[in-house]
Amino acid sequence: MLEVLNSAPMYLICGLIILFVALVCVVFMVRAYKAGIAIGMDKKKLNYAVTSSITFSILPSIGILLGVIALSGSLGTPWPWLRLSVIGALHYETQVAEAAAEQVGIGQLSASVMTPQAFTTIALLMSLCIIWGMVLSLFFNKSYLKKLQGKKKDSGETAKKEGFGDAAMTAMFIGLVSAYMGSYIGGFVSGKGMFTFQGDYVPIIVAVVSALVMAVFTYFAEKKHMVWLESFSIAGSMLIGMLAAIVL
Amino acid sequence: MSENTNMNANAREEYLAKYDRGTHWIGRISTAVCIVLFLGAPFVIGLYIGAMPNLSAIAKGYLSVGLVWTVSSVVEFLVYTPMLGAGGGYLAFITGNLINMKIPCAMNAREIAGTKSGTSENEIISTLSIAASSLITIVVLALGVLLLIPLQPILQSETLKPAFANVVPALFGAMAYQYYRKNLKLALIPLVLMTLLYIFVPSLTSQTSLMILPSGAITIALAYLAWSKKKPGDAA
Repeated sequence: MLEVLNSAPMYLICGLIILFVALVCVVFMVRAYKAGIAIGMDKKKLNYAVTSSITFSILPSIGILLGVIALSGSLGTPWPWLRLSVIGALHYETQVAEAAAEQVGIGQLSASVMTPQAFTTIALLMSLCIIWGMVLSLFFNKSYLKKLQGKKKDSGETAKKEGFGDAAMTAMFIGLVSAYMGSYIGGFVSGKGMFTFQGDYVPIIVAVVSALVMAVFTYFAEKKHMVWLESFSIAGSMLIGMLAAIVL
Repeated sequence: MSENTNMNANAREEYLAKYDRGTHWIGRISTAVCIVLFLGAPFVIGLYIGAMPNLSAIAKGYLSVGLVWTVSSVVEFLVYTPMLGAGGGYLAFITGNLINMKIPCAMNAREIAGTKSGTSENEIISTLSIAASSLITIVVLALGVLLLIPLQPILQSETLKPAFANVVPALFGAMAYQYYRKNLKLALIPLVLMTLLYIFVPSLTSQTSLMILPSGAITIALAYLAWSKKKPGDAA
């Protein structure tokens, strides 16, 4: 079964879809870049946005590649490659694939019990469960953003509401980061029973090391005016943080 | 190009309105095509390997795991669309991996470019950032799949295992420094509350992506309080 799932036509089907998504990205990128130049944005700023996003994304992408490898044992390589190149997210795909395997009656996600129908069923369920963000985006992105912008204009005279829109995004992000930080500390304190302090401490140390390295990067970028460093600071901090996990 | 950079306010407004319309047009078409491709692929594969999906199993599976993801998709759409803007929003929902990559990536680009949310500059930076990030994932995965056989033993080696198990803590550690240092007071309460919550209800650590919501709501409420105090004259 795995031979069929790893055959050339499978690569072709999945590869073509990935190629289409890549083209969409290129189109959006070129348009945005041109628009930025046209309204007089600093070219350097635009370039920084691109380079920082590139360096930023390399390490998480390698993490995602590991997901492809993890799933390729049971689903072949092309399908996980497609799923994780596009819409998917690592934690999502594995969970849904396993649940789907249960529903089709093969019990577990494993190449030895995989049948053609089990595969197509699992594949469709993986696509279906996470499609809603796209569906909502298709129908409501425009009206939703307009509504938000409209609200801003209604009270826009006082420049005050505009101030809060930005603050709210920052606050949301701080909330997001805090939820993760809290989970690392909580996981260590109560992960193996409440207040036993026996849980996994590695994520805390990794996060702290990464934050400290980030502080060093920020110091050089701001105080020594090495602005170019900003593009690499997150990626560099992550790399050293992850190395700390190996050393531990 | 030089007459463009000095365009007057009216021309700029008009240009941006046209750009915005174009973004929604391309965004909608490509999203629709992608939905068809992603849902159609299992059937095309079915033709090739000789078995169509079992639709009753799909229905059952959807009821057991799909509903949770449906709810979280709706929430993700409502929360992240304003953060990503139009172009970034369409792309991010097509390419996925929002919390662990696209959102922090766009926030970082925005921080570097110094743009404010809701502005056209921010829309452009966000689109550039999400597009670049998506392309990198596509390239890394394509190279990885191409080199799968030589790479597999390295990436899955015991030595590197802990490093890749901790990509997310490393990412959020660096981002935490960036955001906490400017908003220390604001960050303290959600951090303490979330930590206590996880300590007393350890099972929630596996639900972190859902816990973002209460945490975000509390932080926004706190930010709102601080901000309305700052300008008491304007408070309604």
